[in-house]
Amino acid sequence: MNLLDLHKRIERSSGLLIFGILVVASIGGLVQIVPSLYQESLSTPTEGVVPYTPLELLGRDIYIRESCSSCHSQQIRPLLAEVRRYGPYSRADEFVYDRPFLWGSKRTGPDLHRVGGKYTDAWHRVHMLNPRAVVPSSIMPAYPWLAERAADADGSIAARLRALQRLGHPYTDEDIAGAAETVADKTELDAVIAYLQSLGRARTRGSSL
Amino acid sequence: MSAKVAAVHYEDRIVTAFTAAAVLWTVFGMLAGVYVAAELVWPELGFEQPWLSFGRLRTVHTHSVIFGFGVSALIGTAFYSVQRTSHVPLFAPRLAWFVFYAWQATCVLGALSLFAGINASKEYAELEWPFDVAIAAAWISFAVVFFGTLARRRVGPIYISNWFYGALIIVVAMLHVVNSLALPATLTKSYSLYAGAQDAIVQWWYGHNAVGFLLTGGFLGMLYYFLPKQAEQPIWSYRLSIVAFWAFVYTYIWAGPHHLHYNAIPEWVQSLGVVMSLILLAPSWATMINGVMTVSGAWRKLKVDPALKFVVLSLAFYGLATFEGPMMAIRSVNMLSHFTEWTIGHVHSGALGWNALITFGTFYYLVPRLAGRPLWSAGLANVHFWLALAGVMLYVIAMWGAGVSQGLLWLSLDELGEVRYGFVDVMEAMAPYYALRLVAGGLFLAGAVLMAVNLWRTMAGIETVRVAPPAGALAAESGA
Amino acid sequence: MPVSVPLSPLLAARVLRSPGVVFTELAERPPSAARVFFGFALWLLILPPLFAFIGTATFGWRLGVAPIVLPVPVIAAISAAYFVLLLFGLLSTAMIARWMAKTYGASESFGASLALVALVGVPLALGSVAHLYPHAFLNVLVLVPALIWSMYLLYRGLPVVLGTDPRRGMLMASSLIAYLLVAWVSLLGVTVVLWGRGIGPRIGA
Repeated sequence: MNLLDLHKRIERSSGLLIFGILVVASIGGLVQIVPSLYQESLSTPTEGVVPYTPLELLGRDIYIRESCSSCHSQQIRPLLAEVRRYGPYSRADEFVYDRPFLWGSKRTGPDLHRVGGKYTDAWHRVHMLNPRAVVPSSIMPAYPWLAERAADADGSIAARLRALQRLGHPYTDEDIAGAAETVADKTELDAVIAYLQSLGRARTRGSSL
Repeated sequence: MSAKVAAVHYEDRIVTAFTAAAVLWTVFGMLAGVYVAAELVWPELGFEQPWLSFGRLRTVHTHSVIFGFGVSALIGTAFYSVQRTSHVPLFAPRLAWFVFYAWQATCVLGALSLFAGINASKEYAELEWPFDVAIAAAWISFAVVFFGTLARRRVGPIYISNWFYGALIIVVAMLHVVNSLALPATLTKSYSLYAGAQDAIVQWWYGHNAVGFLLTGGFLGMLYYFLPKQAEQPIWSYRLSIVAFWAFVYTYIWAGPHHLHYNAIPEWVQSLGVVMSLILLAPSWATMINGVMTVSGAWRKLKVDPALKFVVLSLAFYGLATFEGPMMAIRSVNMLSHFTEWTIGHVHSGALGWNALITFGTFYYLVPRLAGRPLWSAGLANVHFWLALAGVMLYVIAMWGAGVSQGLLWLSLDELGEVRYGFVDVMEAMAPYYALRLVAGGLFLAGAVLMAVNLWRTMAGIETVRVAPPAGALAAESGA
Repeated sequence: MPVSVPLSPLLAARVLRSPGVVFTELAERPPSAARVFFGFALWLLILPPLFAFIGTATFGWRLGVAPIVLPVPVIAAISAAYFVLLLFGLLSTAMIARWMAKTYGASESFGASLALVALVGVPLALGSVAHLYPHAFLNVLVLVPALIWSMYLLYRGLPVVLGTDPRRGMLMASSLIAYLLVAWVSLLGVTVVLWGRGIGPRIGA
């Protein structure tokens, strides 16, 4: 039976069509994704890569809530100009605790992967409440509500940490039990700043490429 | 004729419902888009309200136009065409109505959740886990109705538009299930099963193929049904369509990593992304050529009405977008274009030039038929055509200018090897382009509003026309 | 060969004011390709590179950062390349139109195709006066409406000048637009790849 005849069979059977599409469409994903799931280097933290503290985690989840990734990337490419501008290029092992990843796909604002330690907490505080106070031409939205809300307003920090623990992050039960207290008197702004200051600290600026 | 036989007709009221929903979503979604475009010019337009801030509203925009507008248009036209190519009414019409209500509810509540900041942040999969479950339920129902209708067909071979709609259903189901895997922490927050680089690979396997099978494949299904229908002609080359279809399904899946060039994923995965993206050009264009040649061969049967102009021009933008995509997948080009406005320009040349234009053309063709009377105003539709064309061209050219400048200026080093331009300098240089893009979006939205009025006037107060399947089907139905 | 439509610069103004008349006259008495090229199109093609040269030499490229000043020989080279590209654009589009002619039942006269493409390009050629001040925003602001005008002239003029049925003319015009869009973005891609390899003006050098 030549291919055209085979195809005529497929055209006359919705079952064969469904099966055919599923098989053909699965191949690419299997080849590209499965090996990466087993590649140790993509999921093994190296020295300096640590899980987020409760406050940093809350800050990260706020970053996600406000969709900061719409404008800010967290992926420094191994290009000379980028490394000069942002610091050492991003390596896979730095992101093993990022669920989901926040590499972004657009830079309306600068890349943030190594923003940790670049500005003081005070600078971030002023900037987040009104970006134009520090960068007059900035088009970033203002986030005043972050200062008005408690970081763990819904009391979910333990639940979040537990979920991550189940996914393999090295939080101990004591960490989880004591987490709420560590964030009790913090605002969302404190949390976001803590998160931003944690970014990229695994490799410091000025170190080798 | 027995009462039972006389009562058999296509289930088209649901097509009307999905079409109306799609029109509402396109106006709302584009309004959100114009608003965020304005916020990039005047950030104060957020009025310091969380729900109005750029980040959240941008997500509402993408959600509304892809899932509200795009999917409603696809399901509506899929239901319309699968019945007519099978010569039977929809399988399980009540389930089909469930699909309608479930999908609209998911999109509306989903949009509200995005305003509220309930956001998983993975692009075009931002809705949190309860919505992922709802989407799966609606989608499975869609699959049952669609394939159920096909299984009951009175026509031997399955027509090609159904292959594309079928691929849309199956592949999007696979993508959605795999990419959405997450462990819930609360009712509104979950953590992705995948982390870091692995998550990136899975996300862009999903993201690119959502574009591939939803925005490309599904709309090719629309093209393959409505274009020959308008032309009253079979597809130009049957063999080409077979080769193109399977090559398309196979190749598209591999292209995802071109979103991750020079990112922290294995080099070989990136390279595969480049090669397969380039190969993809062939089946993409084969489909376009098939469409173009079908119409040109059928010119005698055509009326140069706005509907046809929209559909034919959409093919030109399809050609542009499916050429530009592989081109931007080349590392040398991507090095400059990644993270810039060029990517946005590329998205919109496809989303506006191809998806929106072909859908508008299809609606201008479809709604008069559903209403059983002519379009309320062909003149208004013609004005829409020019507004849409002007909007798309201005958008794309402004973003090309912005993106290429951005890319060049970011990569520019001075004599000492330091970056020549500060980030803020380059950002300020984008301002005029953002202003032009706002105008472009406004033009495009204005055209869409005219369409909404026009279609509303055509259909208002009218029951969807009842069309019976061809006589042979009825005879078979009654056991003759 | 009877004298066909006078191909003078005034034709440029006339096609903007009364395109229908110009297209009809062209259809009735199609000129030879040589007459179109040397009598009309060539002079149109010179305008954008000329304006670009003057503007860039005087003001530098204004992309929104500090003006990018280039040495005069470099500007001359870029302007020359611009001219060559426009020439390629004009000739290739006319040739593609002739290649498509059979499919759409259009005239296969190269002179007619060339005249059509040249006339369709008039809004853009005249709009290129914006290059005298090479500010990105100004140029996009002027040239995109010019582009839409050109597209309108294409849809309006093609069926008349190439003598097609109106329906086939619309289809053919859309196909030509597809070619132009793809050619344009290819140019963008090629340029970017060349720049990436160091072939191109050194910004700020």
